[in-house]
Amino acid sequence: MSIGLPVACMIAALAVGLVTETGARLFNLWRYRSPGYLVINILVMFVLIQGYGVGWVIGGRHAMRGIFPVLFMVGAVVGILFEGVNEHWLHAWSWSDRPILGVTRSIDKAAVVGVAWGLAPLATVMLARLMIGASLKA
Amino acid sequence: MNPTPHLSAADRAHAIVLAVGSMLVCAYWVAFFRTDLTLPKVVHNMTNPSVAHLATVYLGFESAFPLADLLVAVTSALAALYLVGRDAKAVLFGLVASGALGFLAFIDISFNLLHGFYAPHNLLKDGGLQLEALINIACVTGAIWSIWRLWSHPLRRAEDRPSMVGKSELGFDTAPR
Repeated sequence: MSIGLPVACMIAALAVGLVTETGARLFNLWRYRSPGYLVINILVMFVLIQGYGVGWVIGGRHAMRGIFPVLFMVGAVVGILFEGVNEHWLHAWSWSDRPILGVTRSIDKAAVVGVAWGLAPLATVMLARLMIGASLKA
Repeated sequence: MNPTPHLSAADRAHAIVLAVGSMLVCAYWVAFFRTDLTLPKVVHNMTNPSVAHLATVYLGFESAFPLADLLVAVTSALAALYLVGRDAKAVLFGLVASGALGFLAFIDISFNLLHGFYAPHNLLKDGGLQLEALINIACVTGAIWSIWRLWSHPLRRAEDRPSMVGKSELGFDTAPR
């Protein structure tokens, strides 16, 4: 059975989101104000925005070599602004006392994690293409 | 914990410009890879060999920009994040973003002038080139304004807020006296 790239991007983004949030919970990096925000974050930010929006719309037609800076750029800019909205107004999640890559201040953690959002569409597109390849062989 | 100082209307406007600017850089590259909106007419005329050569040079030149624009977009967004938080790193990231933006804009302007893209007869009848000229002007103006504003900003001489106060890793006492 073969699957289309848009669907593969959304499934891959869901997997990336679940792995990220599980890792964050295991290492106690941040915590959500309510479980609803966790679900919204995974479904909206990972699946819809980074997976379908960035991954498929931008990364769906070109070779990774040419498109990877744009994927990282859009993912990181969306991520930084999203982290900024949470940091200054939304407060849907908060940081634990544990440092992230040696960073301890709340706003610096938002910046680091915001930039790291750039990896989400990259990982999504690579994983989605692997899934497509595997589904074509099956 | 110290309360976050009040954000002035000018800083709020500056943060919006930085945030919107970073999104516009992203939007440009999405349009570049998805549509013909940003491309000059010369790129569509590949039948004439001399024009085809120029189009190949143009596309090769433009394709080198995304990685450099990544630096501009990410540092602009970081500057907006820190400026809203009234943090001194806003000046650092804002100056890096503005300097890089101005540098890239002048490279683009230089290329377009040297290859005749900005000759009046080309510019007047080509929507793609007009958009590019508009972007170049906006980038140079925005970069100069942002550098001027950040260099005279009170945060330029400010320390990072709370967690930087105290003993540094080298043992120097950085606490205010």
